[in-house]
Amino acid sequence: MKRLLKKLAPFAPDHSGAVSVLFELGGMITLCDAGGCTGNVCGFDEPRWEHTPNAVFSAALRDMDAIMGRDDRLVKKLVRAMEVQDWPFAALVGTPVPAVIGTDFAALRRMAAKQTGKPVIALSAAGTGLYDKGEEAAYLELFQSFTEPGVADGNTIGVLGVTPLELGSADPTGLVRKAFAKMAQKIFSYNSLEEIRQAATVSCNIVLAPAGLAAAKFLQEKFGTPYKVGPAILPRHIREKAAELRGKKVLVIHQQFAAQAVRELLKDADVTLGNYFMQIPEFAQMQDVSLAGEDDFAELVMKNNFDAVFADPLFRRLIPDYQGTFVDFIHFAVSGKLEEDF
Amino acid sequence: MKEALFTTIAELAEGSAKSMPDMFQPARHLVCSTPATLAFNSPGAQGFGVKRAGLAVPGSVMLLAAPRCCGRNTTALGSSGEYADRFYYLLMDDNDIVTGRHLNRIPEAVCEICRDRKEKPSAVMICITCVDALLGTDMERVCRKCSAAAGVPVEPCYMYALTREGRLPPMAAVRKSVYALLEPRPKQADAANILGFFSPLMDSCELRPMLQKAGVRHVREIARCRDFAEYQQMAEANFNLVLNQEARYAAQDLQKRLQIPFIELTRRYDLSKVRNQYQLLGSALGIRLDDAPYAEEAEQAVALCRKDFAGARIAIGEWLNGDPFELALSLVRYGFQVPEIFGTAGEANYSYIRKLAEWSPETKVYANTNPSMLSYRKDREKVDAAIGQDAMYYHPDAPGFRWNEEAQPFGHAGIREFFTRLYAQLQEN
Repeated sequence: MKRLLKKLAPFAPDHSGAVSVLFELGGMITLCDAGGCTGNVCGFDEPRWEHTPNAVFSAALRDMDAIMGRDDRLVKKLVRAMEVQDWPFAALVGTPVPAVIGTDFAALRRMAAKQTGKPVIALSAAGTGLYDKGEEAAYLELFQSFTEPGVADGNTIGVLGVTPLELGSADPTGLVRKAFAKMAQKIFSYNSLEEIRQAATVSCNIVLAPAGLAAAKFLQEKFGTPYKVGPAILPRHIREKAAELRGKKVLVIHQQFAAQAVRELLKDADVTLGNYFMQIPEFAQMQDVSLAGEDDFAELVMKNNFDAVFADPLFRRLIPDYQGTFVDFIHFAVSGKLEEDF
Repeated sequence: MKEALFTTIAELAEGSAKSMPDMFQPARHLVCSTPATLAFNSPGAQGFGVKRAGLAVPGSVMLLAAPRCCGRNTTALGSSGEYADRFYYLLMDDNDIVTGRHLNRIPEAVCEICRDRKEKPSAVMICITCVDALLGTDMERVCRKCSAAAGVPVEPCYMYALTREGRLPPMAAVRKSVYALLEPRPKQADAANILGFFSPLMDSCELRPMLQKAGVRHVREIARCRDFAEYQQMAEANFNLVLNQEARYAAQDLQKRLQIPFIELTRRYDLSKVRNQYQLLGSALGIRLDDAPYAEEAEQAVALCRKDFAGARIAIGEWLNGDPFELALSLVRYGFQVPEIFGTAGEANYSYIRKLAEWSPETKVYANTNPSMLSYRKDREKVDAAIGQDAMYYHPDAPGFRWNEEAQPFGHAGIREFFTRLYAQLQEN
């Protein structure tokens, strides 16, 4: 069955992706859930949370809230919580409950903004989508809501896709600043509201993941900021292994831009990218494939006689008899594991 | 920044469960998610949530039919030995969550799971979530269909977080689910079950040996059943002992279906109450339960701690094996001070709250999940020890212990172990 997972667990959902982008911005994040989704995000998909318990709240919706569609109560709760601290903005993030009852997030946003007197953004994730869709929506919403006109100063670059889910690091900002330190005096990883506000002043945006592409295009269109994809930040052992496997037949599974970066390192190799996440056609090659179910991956490996497979270690479960070289290419959004070897 | 809200025990005691301040009613405010609250904000995030609890049935597997987000944290659980290869997921898409068409695919999924496994599972537990709560899914009917198609028992587990404060919260419902597969058997006069937990009582607990000495030779707990056949022997019990009120509904169901009566006991940290409870239990069963040697050991542990540390200031959390208000009351009666309790007060705690108000009216009660807890300042109250994972979070520099291990403390053994650890921590301080 296509949507039956027998060996893998579900990949990170859309609302985890949204929270991942919002997490370091200092706003008040509220998941419109009954409690479980917040637990999943904080307890599993957001590795920064344990050491930096930023304001992530659950709306604590109950059955009658959902049945009666009591958005006014949710707004009241929000107003009261906003009294605790002077948060610069509030973010409302959807989950399956509002998706089922058809919550009007645009209206909720207006009501909340009016009653709190603070900027509010609202993201209607449903918990059925993948993390990258949530990241994409969050980036777009942030830049559309907060970015002010400005002039590029020539000393600053912006980086999009700086989340643990994409990079596998619990300190993605630190990782990016270190990796790109020679490229500019200032690096915006868009991990503060101030950087979002000043996004028009960067001279170029580097896009590390497809989830950041729509925002990069928006910033280009609105403020004329150019963007480019990569250079990707790859773990050391991946770079080393890629150098060893030149000329081979290789399958790479990850988010598209990270996988693409591995392809570039595999000189003279016959490389196929397999992708469970966003596939941007302009960055794909003919042989690249979109995958949906567990069997797709196993079938792809069985039929193509790959010398090597780069994929998250969780995928090993799907091909226990594979005889080639399996290279662990951690993707936090898949296994929830962090990469330590950058 | 607004300071963390609290109320004193005396103020709480003046009211009643019906007039509880909003700060103690999670559904009336946003719930603050910090490492101190994760376990009760999202019971599945740590410890036993519905998904893990449902797999208490030996040899069972679980199919989670839900949006992908509901199964995400199970990635961690699925890789651990005991649960590896026991979780399956049928992912719902945007159409499913509105139309409920996923229900048609569940029987096929159950059949495929059973076909794929080397050995047929003893049962398939189907876990459904908030979406089906809102769709009004008749999962019992779907389970019957699955069972007929796959030839295995299939039982629903309701992970309905939306009904957490309702008549039948998810953790009470899942307790019923895990005993629902017991089938009628002839009763055995010397058999009893302990209901309430998904993990076993601590090995040193006196309850089992006391019952065995009094002639109840077979004392069974679900977590100690090695296979499905042993689990089925629980149906032979002459009576059930319910040690956690969340298992009351399950016990009532067993009484109705299998005619197994039940008796409720409460986890207490007050020696005299534990003794009294055992006496009452003995009277109810018509047997003599000799708890004196165990009581003496517990009393010695309490006495040693009192001798050296009477008056010590101890912060109590709710993320621990016990009722924080009962534990606070017991500690205060023993001569310790409890300046703070981090807990969600409710109807079940009120008898302790009223008594505690007589002994320690100034004790502050903080509502763990209230947003104002983000402003809690650890330097506000000096404590000598913090007990419970949440209290330890708020007092990271104080000595303390989590007291939320999976092996469940109970009775005199629980008191003895508790005070032995408290003594060690206070000594270190």
